[in-house]
Amino acid sequence: MTLIHDKIKADQSAKMKARDVSVYYGSKKAIDEVSIDISPDYVTAFIGPSGCGKSTFLRCFNRMNDTIPVARVDGLIELDGENIHSDAMDVVQLRARVGMVFQKPNPFPKSIYENIAYGPKIHGLAEKKPDLDTVVEKSLTRAGLWDEVKDRLDDSGTALSGGQQQRLCIARAIAVDPEVILMDEPASALDPIATAKIEELIDELSGRYAIVIVTHSMQQAARVSQRTAFFHLGKMVEYGPTSDIFTNPIEERTKDYITGRYG
Amino acid sequence: MTDIASPDLTRPTRTPEFEKRMRKRYRSERNFKLMGQGAIVFSVAVLVFLLGNMLMNGIGGFQRAELTVPIDFVESGLVGDEVSLTAPSAVQILEIQGLPEIVKRYAERAVGEEGAEQMSDQAWRDVAAALQSDPSIINSTSEVFYLPAGSDLAAGLAGEGSPEIQALAQRLEAEGTLGENWDWGFMTRSDATSPQAVGIWGALKGSILTMLVTIALAFPIGILSALYLEEYAPKNRWTDLIEVSINNLAAVPSIIFGLLGLAVFLTVFPNLRSAPLIGGMTLALMTMPVIVISGRNAIKAVPPSIRDGALAVGASPVQVVFHHVLPLALPGMLTGTIIGMARALGETAPLLMIGMRAFVATPPSDFTSPATVLPVQIFLWSDEIDQGFVERTSAAIIVLLLFLLLMNGLAIYLRNKFEKTW
Repeated sequence: MTLIHDKIKADQSAKMKARDVSVYYGSKKAIDEVSIDISPDYVTAFIGPSGCGKSTFLRCFNRMNDTIPVARVDGLIELDGENIHSDAMDVVQLRARVGMVFQKPNPFPKSIYENIAYGPKIHGLAEKKPDLDTVVEKSLTRAGLWDEVKDRLDDSGTALSGGQQQRLCIARAIAVDPEVILMDEPASALDPIATAKIEELIDELSGRYAIVIVTHSMQQAARVSQRTAFFHLGKMVEYGPTSDIFTNPIEERTKDYITGRYG
Repeated sequence: MTDIASPDLTRPTRTPEFEKRMRKRYRSERNFKLMGQGAIVFSVAVLVFLLGNMLMNGIGGFQRAELTVPIDFVESGLVGDEVSLTAPSAVQILEIQGLPEIVKRYAERAVGEEGAEQMSDQAWRDVAAALQSDPSIINSTSEVFYLPAGSDLAAGLAGEGSPEIQALAQRLEAEGTLGENWDWGFMTRSDATSPQAVGIWGALKGSILTMLVTIALAFPIGILSALYLEEYAPKNRWTDLIEVSINNLAAVPSIIFGLLGLAVFLTVFPNLRSAPLIGGMTLALMTMPVIVISGRNAIKAVPPSIRDGALAVGASPVQVVFHHVLPLALPGMLTGTIIGMARALGETAPLLMIGMRAFVATPPSDFTSPATVLPVQIFLWSDEIDQGFVERTSAAIIVLLLFLLLMNGLAIYLRNKFEKTW
């Protein structure tokens, strides 16, 4: 059973809602009937030991699991009250509205400029060069990368350092002005300084975008998020305000995990 | 801190047995290195021997024994002007006017009756060609021509054949009227019955036209098949069957494709026997599976993270393929295409089946006119009895190798141009 703390039970303004979502890889059940509301105003963190299904669950929100042939998603997921699996919801549009940043920085092997301009271009959000220039500058500025790369926008995105690449990927995600940004362990491949910059960035972006972050670092969840969901063995064990989860968990398993008994 | 210096020789890694095993390991490593180096030295030596041998023989193939014959056109009484000499029937007109006899007469003057007897029967055609390309020389009183010697005299100059001919060749060489000259005409003439008169251009042009057809068919079809199978096709029994079939096609002996071309293409287009179009279609069948297989491997090598990244900003599957996967996979696809095309260029067997082994004395004018290709030409010449063809065959092999190098060089240049790192 899942414990949802009283403070967030009555959250009516949820940006995204999941109801009884299960994910199967072939016959294996990776996620078991998880329900959650994602608030537009907070950073929501998914924590849990490796293999608990938190990344799988995250990928449900922009239907990235569609790309895995054996994966099957049951249950209801809504974005602003619209079922994202309905015929009326186009998956391309959904992914423009729900952006994603991956664990390993994956800039396109194109120039920095092209990396940012790609999304707006394919969606026709900015057609002319001056408009694109504006979008590129705005996105890079928001991602805190503009000052570092403004003189070498034509360099390859893959020539940047790991931390810069990840911020480039965040800039790429916000260039299409999404409503939600999903982050799948965005700092796990980075050194502590780059990690700190990413966390700072998440802090700045929260409020403007609904942010969901998967992390295996409890400290990171405590630092950047206001809501935390703890996953274990494909189930969501407990969901509540981050401070409550870390200081006053209700479930025994949550307590064991955050005190370092396993995970 | 005093006992640090004394080694503990009882540890298992400090025993004499361990050191013996270490020495054995190093020895096997050295042996392996030596064997590898030996293999490389051997293959390089074989390659150098092969190429050197071919070059030595082939250089002779680019030369021919020629008689120096000055002709006085004014005195000869030959008539013609700009218009008649550039007309398509110019050769016939010159022949009717007795050009062969005129050439023979001046040859007798230059090298004596014996020497003129040993001139190639077709030598007058060189004079006719010269008149065609530059009609003004018909007003010249002493135009010097280097006319091909007959094959007997050519052999005599090389120190072969009957003693009389050898003596004649030596005498003429001493007089300065017979010599081995660089034969530029080899690159512009086509097949002929005499090794003195043959050229490679017909076969080279046939090869170029055939390769154009092959790449125009095999590359797009191969790439599109690879993209569809890898990116779109559902994974089920049918696509498995298609995959197995393609892999088997790549291993089918090439002559089978020739039979297929004979049975299918020549039944549909019976008038196109020996045409580069049919040859190219047959070779495209053979090349396509290679391109599909290498193309699929190149697509598989594109990191999934790039696909994810593109999908996550909302690219549609087609955009993912054409904006990201294809540009990254193209270098690998080109590598497969190089291999396939190189194989197609050197292919003889399937083309024999569709009639490209005919004697074709004029270069093909388009994709539907009869043609032969370089490897078939080499095969045909190597079958000739005349001594002179041995060198010509080597020369043709050199031309084939150079063409191959040129084609591969271009493909490698393109591949490096598209290559990106991620």
